[in-house]
Amino acid sequence: MGPKDDFPEKERFSVSRRDFLKTAGVGSLATAVTAVGVAEAEAQTGPRVVGPGEVPVSLMVNGKRLDLKIEPRVTLLDALRNRADLTGNKRVCDRGTCGACTMIVDGRTLYSCSTLAVDVEGKQIRTVDGLANGATLHPVQQAFFDHDSLMCGFCTPGFVMATVALLEKYPNPTRDQARHELDGNICRCGTFVRIMEAALSVKGVARG
Amino acid sequence: MAESQGRGNQTPESPEVKALAKKYAWPEKPALLSTRVKRLDGPDKVSGRAKYTYDINRPGMIYGKIVRSPYPHARVVSVDMSAAEKAPGFKAGLTYKEPGTQVMYQGDPVAAVACDTEEHALDASRLVRVRYEQLPHFANEDQAMKPDAPVVFTGGNTKMGATEETGSVDDGFKQAAHVVEATYSTQVITHVCLETHGTVCEWEGDKLTAWVSTQAVHGTKDGFVRGLNIPASNVRVITQYMGGGFGSKFSPDAQGLICAKLAQQAKAPVKLMLDRKEEHLDTGNRPSAFAHIRAGVSVDGRLTAFDGQSWGTGGAGATSGFPLPYIYDFPNRRRTHKDVYINAGQQRAMRAPGHPQGCFLTEILMDELADRVKMDPVEFRIKNLPPAAPNAAWGEYFAIGAKEFGWDKRHPTGDPTPGPIKTGFGTSAHRWGGGGRGTKAHCDIASDGSVVMKCGTQDLGTGTRTVVAVVTAETLGLPVSAVHPEIGDTNYPVSGGSGGSTTAASISPALRLTAGKALDALAAKVAPHLGVEASTLTASNGRVHVAGNPSKGMAWKDACKLIGTEPISVDGEWAEGLSSTGTSGVQFTEVTVDIETGIVKVKRVLTVQDCGLIVDRLTAESQVHGGIIGAINFALFEDRILDRNTGQMVNPNMEWYLVAGMSDIPQIDMHLVDSPVQRARGVIGIGEPPTVSTAAAIANAVRNATGVTIRSLPLQPYKILQAIEQEKAGGTL
Amino acid sequence: MKAFAYVNPANEKDAVAALKTDGIAMPLGGGQDLLARMKDYIDSPDRVVNVKNALEATAIATPDGGMKIGAAMKIVDLAEHAQIAKMYPAVSAAAIEIGTPQIRHVGTVGGNVNQRPRCWYFRNEEFVCYKKGGSRCFAVEGENQFHAIFGNDGPSHIVHPSSLAVPFVAYGAKFRVVGPNGEREVPAAEYFTLPTIQNVLKENVLGDEELFTHVILPAPGNVKSGHYEVRYKQSHDWPLAFSTVVLTMNGSTIQSARVVLGAVAPVPWRSEDAERALAGKPLNEQTAAQAGEAAVRAAKPLSGNAYKIQIAKTAVKRAVMNAAGMKTV
Repeated sequence: MGPKDDFPEKERFSVSRRDFLKTAGVGSLATAVTAVGVAEAEAQTGPRVVGPGEVPVSLMVNGKRLDLKIEPRVTLLDALRNRADLTGNKRVCDRGTCGACTMIVDGRTLYSCSTLAVDVEGKQIRTVDGLANGATLHPVQQAFFDHDSLMCGFCTPGFVMATVALLEKYPNPTRDQARHELDGNICRCGTFVRIMEAALSVKGVARG
Repeated sequence: MAESQGRGNQTPESPEVKALAKKYAWPEKPALLSTRVKRLDGPDKVSGRAKYTYDINRPGMIYGKIVRSPYPHARVVSVDMSAAEKAPGFKAGLTYKEPGTQVMYQGDPVAAVACDTEEHALDASRLVRVRYEQLPHFANEDQAMKPDAPVVFTGGNTKMGATEETGSVDDGFKQAAHVVEATYSTQVITHVCLETHGTVCEWEGDKLTAWVSTQAVHGTKDGFVRGLNIPASNVRVITQYMGGGFGSKFSPDAQGLICAKLAQQAKAPVKLMLDRKEEHLDTGNRPSAFAHIRAGVSVDGRLTAFDGQSWGTGGAGATSGFPLPYIYDFPNRRRTHKDVYINAGQQRAMRAPGHPQGCFLTEILMDELADRVKMDPVEFRIKNLPPAAPNAAWGEYFAIGAKEFGWDKRHPTGDPTPGPIKTGFGTSAHRWGGGGRGTKAHCDIASDGSVVMKCGTQDLGTGTRTVVAVVTAETLGLPVSAVHPEIGDTNYPVSGGSGGSTTAASISPALRLTAGKALDALAAKVAPHLGVEASTLTASNGRVHVAGNPSKGMAWKDACKLIGTEPISVDGEWAEGLSSTGTSGVQFTEVTVDIETGIVKVKRVLTVQDCGLIVDRLTAESQVHGGIIGAINFALFEDRILDRNTGQMVNPNMEWYLVAGMSDIPQIDMHLVDSPVQRARGVIGIGEPPTVSTAAAIANAVRNATGVTIRSLPLQPYKILQAIEQEKAGGTL
Repeated sequence: MKAFAYVNPANEKDAVAALKTDGIAMPLGGGQDLLARMKDYIDSPDRVVNVKNALEATAIATPDGGMKIGAAMKIVDLAEHAQIAKMYPAVSAAAIEIGTPQIRHVGTVGGNVNQRPRCWYFRNEEFVCYKKGGSRCFAVEGENQFHAIFGNDGPSHIVHPSSLAVPFVAYGAKFRVVGPNGEREVPAAEYFTLPTIQNVLKENVLGDEELFTHVILPAPGNVKSGHYEVRYKQSHDWPLAFSTVVLTMNGSTIQSARVVLGAVAPVPWRSEDAERALAGKPLNEQTAAQAGEAAVRAAKPLSGNAYKIQIAKTAVKRAVMNAAGMKTV
């Protein structure tokens, strides 16, 4: 949505709890975006402030190092989809409510749309793109295929990763455990019944 | 290569085509049809290799973003792109709504920009300065129907349709021993396709390639041709994978045309995908449905009269019709419908358009009437069905389903069990059309035995790609893995859009006959080597052989060696005799209601459903799951909520626009009718029927559980609690 | 989101320093709230300060028999913490219901306590409400089915969204906060603020340059605690009402109680009415029902949310039953 002219600029952004002098300085988008490649640094001691322009970000994805140059505001999801062609992970709600972007980071699932790429440097990131071993599908992927646990397939990568994490946490889950661990993923086509069948059919998933 | 021709010609069939259709009628004992065949694109989808439109990254690609009206109704005074044009990475921009024109709903597109990165496109879009003059608007049907409402829509804020009348309602009510009079309603819901609408457009000279998330590659191509005023031979639309349509993706829409124009201007490929908010606001919805109904039933349980005035909104200037009454035989009936326009996004076909609404508005009434004559709801329905037919088999299906479901354990209205949790059973019936026509296909068989079947259809997740392989393989006596289907590209022969549950019935006959023609061509080459007439040959179990004498023949690979360097290459098309229309089904549900919180949980759903000849049982079953779950969402969770004052959507996301998750899914059982009668009807289609009646059955189960009648969807806690409170205070049942 | 600078301090001192900048700086925990607000342009900080490495992420025993929980502790770790489950069962019960596994894996205790409201007027850019510097609350005459039924004097009618805040208040927790002027401890019951025209931009007393660092729980004592949440969509939904009840027993009689409700008011709502209805009574279903009735006696619903009264009543009743070890549905 573009700006509406009948609302003053200062009301559109988060109203600072500070005085308006400070707020006015950030009212214009153009000035807030600095030139590419310039990293703002604090003049003295303390942790380095990076951005808002592009900065080098190094990610460990599926066992491989991925070197990117992105703005701090780029999410892990967008970084992998748009800059590394790892498009297995999908963007659907972009607000951490549907799970289509689910990745496993340091052993736990998260919504990559609600994670800054710059915030997961140094962590082990696993995505659906790296799950299969060449032409050999991961047991969870094979089970989804066998049980027809997919239709349009857009939620499938997220569900596959959530199911992998479920089985790595509970190798022999009860239906309740499976339900609970898969509650963070939504399917519009209605594949839930067969996803549950697939999840309960896989025995002993080794930590990948 | 076929030029796009819409749904294909409907000229009378030639004797050759008729003969081919007779020769290649569906087999009595199929090898593959009606078995469970795994989805061909399963591995690509589970591995993330499948590239959807959203995933297409082209060399030099830039990103588009649309600027949309925040207001439900306004005049565009000015559009100033100057600040956007100076923004980092700006490559192209356009004004879509000229100053002086009006925007009619929040989300109406006004302008667009394209920039080098997605982030820059978002920034630049927010620098486009649009001045609006706000105008009066309607946020709901009541506001638009007020007698003193301002005229927001040219020609009137409402449009009354013709009265439909049969028999004499006055006589009908005279015959009635009991009359029920009430208002029933369903809400506006949006499609919530997980892959949003959008395109990647790339020009090469004056030739456009568009990757589109669409359920109609050829229809969308037509849309580009007309919208951009360019020759059809200059447009190619590609959709190898798409993340859900549910009826909303048949055309390039504004975003497709905008994307193509930005790509032209920028001289670079442009990706323009909608975000979730835009998706809720501007890609269609299921219209609301209201009906004030008066209905009568005789002392012995026969329906006598139905008098209904219905209305609904399809948004800004759009229709909202639906069938009413639904299924049951009211010998005397009268019905009017009024379209009401409000300032919201326009409706588009949504999985079984009109039927879930008509079904709900009739089926709750049916339980209320059944109670009046103290009849069991299933018995009451059976008594009032139209005559039975292969496409109207509810009587039979009610009997089957009631038994399988354990319907005899149902208690009368109002669960007497003590405690806050009440259990109830409900039922409902539905019908759908399906059927199809107008598809062309092309088959190549090469001397190495490889088979390619091309068809310009698309797979929304329904399993179409697999259907192509199954039908072709069945005809050629091959395993599914030996057939390579090519779909999702307007370079392939024309087929219609995937809507109305018509895809399987449109493509299957065409594939069957095209493969048949290819087999005939192969037989012509094989016959001399076997010393037989070509017409005696058939194919099965990987061999081409004399029909009834498998040993007199040769292996497929050997037969194909006889083809030579020029592959067999045949065109074929749909013909009568292999498909038909009309399905029927019934559903049963069990729910629990916590009467201390109003929370409804669905425990079990059973459907008895036919669909003619089942092509792939595995994917058909998944479609049934999907339809039922969609209807559970309609019954309990989904609601497009507009602020009643500002007319803006308060829940354009997936946080407050609720869609079921794993813990909300009940046990789902199905009885897919696979009988000689149904097989003889040929392919019909199954995508939509299962979604029609579940919501009504759930509402009836809630009524059975609580003893109170909720006559509107969704079945939110406040409705249940209010109804229980009213009942306690002496309100009507 | 608007572009921003990012900094990753390694300790509390650096984190506090990093929050002080010429523009707006905001702390980043799990990001499940802040990033969504930024994508919707509700907040557009110039600088985002990752505090996950600067704050403690574990729970440790305190000398007085309580627990001290670091603000960076992940919700999942809190939910699965055996000692917390034993000493403060309602905290565990609340934690496991938060969001979804993905959210619990990255969401932090500090983030949960300090998250901003879910009110759809607050979260949609088009509505410039009191909390965004505007001059109205759209819920009053609009779609208020999920808004407050207590504390409705205005100007804002949000419900506080934190699941953990309610048991923290019920158990008498304190919050440790640090800023440029040093550290302080604020009782949880005093941390959250009912809206006034002066303070409506915020939901708590945390200063703009302050950092929330710990939740300090006192020794639980010999109490029975219970927790019950009502939500509509079971898989993932905000609660319609929930309650934590902490009962100090005298044999089989309730000596005193703390009853706190969530999702019904702009702050975790302590119900002294319910507490009085419990004191001196036997712990049984009838008493539980009376507590529920008492808890909602003073409810002042808006035009579209009177139904929440019944739900809040049920939440309190079932929380009491849960404390008694009785089976609830």
